[in-house]
Amino acid sequence: VSTLDTGERRRNGEHRPVITELIDEPTIQSIAEDAWTALVGEDEILVPLPGELPADVLSSWVDVVGPWTGTVVLTTGRETAAGLTRALLGEHAPVELDEEDVADAFGEIANVVGGNVKAALPGPSTLGLPETGPTPPATRPDDLCRVDAQWRGQFLTITVQGTTGVPHAERNEVPQ
Amino acid sequence: VKILVTDDSRVMRQIVIRTLRQAGYDEHDIIQAEDGREAFQMVGSEQPDLVLSDWNMPEMTGIECLEALRAAGSQVPFGFVTSEGSPEMREKAANAGALFLIAKPFTEETFRDALDGVLA
Repeated sequence: VSTLDTGERRRNGEHRPVITELIDEPTIQSIAEDAWTALVGEDEILVPLPGELPADVLSSWVDVVGPWTGTVVLTTGRETAAGLTRALLGEHAPVELDEEDVADAFGEIANVVGGNVKAALPGPSTLGLPETGPTPPATRPDDLCRVDAQWRGQFLTITVQGTTGVPHAERNEVPQ
Repeated sequence: VKILVTDDSRVMRQIVIRTLRQAGYDEHDIIQAEDGREAFQMVGSEQPDLVLSDWNMPEMTGIECLEALRAAGSQVPFGFVTSEGSPEMREKAANAGALFLIAKPFTEETFRDALDGVLA
């Protein structure tokens, strides 16, 4: 009996959970809504409605490395990312936004959403620094949780997607 | 009173400063640093009364900055403003000598609750 038990424990120890075992869509939606209210504006609402992304999209993301390893990705139209940046900057928004402004603001939304997603996952985990660019591919369809939402009538997605191996480049990650 | 706001995100520094003003700390002198290394240097050169710092930053993280300050003998009041508010992070912050940890997203009430005791 003890041999069988040991085998069972070993198999359990090797099991790497997929994201749907750890977090659900309503939790991610709730995290995102809180981030929107606090960062984008008190009256800014994230409506849980599906839609269609435009051709020209931008993503921002942070990596989580731990018992679950993957990436928290925000994707929306480039124009919407610029609109979010203006909302975050408020009265400090320049007449012409540059790419650095958008990377900073849109990346910071991913950072706050990602930090709170990480807090809902089993630890210890590390969180990477936010990055922006073309949408990181979801390589494991079985390890993905996605929320569709609209802000000011514009569509965006939030995906929490697992990765095989170490995600992306080495970044300044903080052990918990 | 001088407050040093440290975050690698310029947008987040602005949001922190805006929230400080909304929370009623609009009379204070607010200065900014882009990472832990700059914050460490500015504690020496600017002598702030409080440091508000992000955790996860390039060059030097917030917790490394706090540990370096304490190792150098500085007892400047230090609090974190970070997207990670897990119990483990709070414990680590407290053990290193932080007075509080404000998790993003925050409100002006969160700021008042954390700062009133420090700046009174």
